[in-house]
Amino acid sequence: MANGTIGGPEILENLKMELRRGCLIVAVLAQLRSEQYGYTLRKALADDGLEVDEGTLYPLLRRLETQGLLVSQWREEDKRNKRFYRLSPVGDQILNQLLNEWQSINASLNRMLQEV
Amino acid sequence: MALLDSYLSAVKRCLPRKHRTDIAAELREDLLSQMEARQEELGRPLTDAEQYAVFMQHGDPMVVARRYWPNRRSLSLGWELIGPELFPAYLFVLGLNLAITLAVIPLVNVIYHAPITVQPFVLPVAAQIVCVTAVFILLNLVRLKFPQQWIYPPAELASVIPVQRWYSVSGLVACSVLMLWWLAIPYLPYLVLGPSAGELKLAPVWHRYYVPVLLLFLAGMGQRALIVVRPDWNWLLPTSRTVISGIGAVVMFFFRAHPLVVVDASAKNLEHAEKLARSTNAWMGWGLFGPWLWLYLGIGALFYAWYSLPHLRRLLHAGLDRIRPVHELNGVL
Repeated sequence: MANGTIGGPEILENLKMELRRGCLIVAVLAQLRSEQYGYTLRKALADDGLEVDEGTLYPLLRRLETQGLLVSQWREEDKRNKRFYRLSPVGDQILNQLLNEWQSINASLNRMLQEV
Repeated sequence: MALLDSYLSAVKRCLPRKHRTDIAAELREDLLSQMEARQEELGRPLTDAEQYAVFMQHGDPMVVARRYWPNRRSLSLGWELIGPELFPAYLFVLGLNLAITLAVIPLVNVIYHAPITVQPFVLPVAAQIVCVTAVFILLNLVRLKFPQQWIYPPAELASVIPVQRWYSVSGLVACSVLMLWWLAIPYLPYLVLGPSAGELKLAPVWHRYYVPVLLLFLAGMGQRALIVVRPDWNWLLPTSRTVISGIGAVVMFFFRAHPLVVVDASAKNLEHAEKLARSTNAWMGWGLFGPWLWLYLGIGALFYAWYSLPHLRRLLHAGLDRIRPVHELNGVL
């Protein structure tokens, strides 16, 4: 940390975090095309290679629900009350648009990397 | 479930009021699922230490709760002085202190028939702001340095966590300094009387209370020294402090009820010395040994009594040997 600048590993961590943040929203929306509760959602994301801690996931789910992209419902399963989330119709539309955007960015990046 | 409830109640306290119950219920469900998964893995119920490890991994209650707040305010001056996790507590404590100060000063003025002006407020208000801010900046630094450590975890959880050494060592140093000061008073009365030492002397009440206070200091030092050596004796901290602070509150209550200084017979100007004795008794009775001291000790005793309860409950249920699963935490912390 010389002259107020941050070191290489720290820059990389910050950039990785920024990159992950956007991807995580798409991943969560994609996973919630089928109904799930928090714990199973987190496991499903981890199984697909996207580890996310509870402290990030639950506030994100709440934010997405406030934005109208998700709907949730408390329901009993295995003798315990669980909050199940799924994509709302608006969320479904937004997810499709985000996936299109994602593919377009991905294609652009691939083109750029091939040129290099 | 007592540990889980204790952890969740600590998180709940810091959550936005409107969604508190809902968020806590969801976190509870997630933690229960995690604990069940771990139980299945091990093929047996989790010990207290293993449950605690789940909470540690989940995060400090304040940090967990703050993620649910839309506006994360903090105090920064180029760099972060008080982080968003501590900022609400800082505002609360500062607000409470200022409210008490602003209520007490006019009351004292009314009692002593003094006119209410701005001047008596300036110093106490400035001192409150500086002291509370400094304490919270320090706490913020500690939190940054030891992000996984809780200074005051909830009582149930505290009963399974070893006492942190830095906490006992800093207490031991502070207690030693205060005890040295107390020990030196009979030989160097100006440590209390200041420049008035030539005209005033300590009142007889000091002789009556000197040894009991010294014993309390010794007990406090002994307790801290023992915990430095045996941090896993976490029951010793709240139980001994309940007793020490409780006795301290009673001793200080009666100590300050008497005049603390009297005129020294060798004083040249007796009239002046009497006036000085009156004003010194007033500032000592309301300042150095003011009601804040026995109130602080009394509240401390209640606080530590609350932290003693889980130990007492376990002692009643299972005997002293089984109240210390903290050895198991050596690999976790």
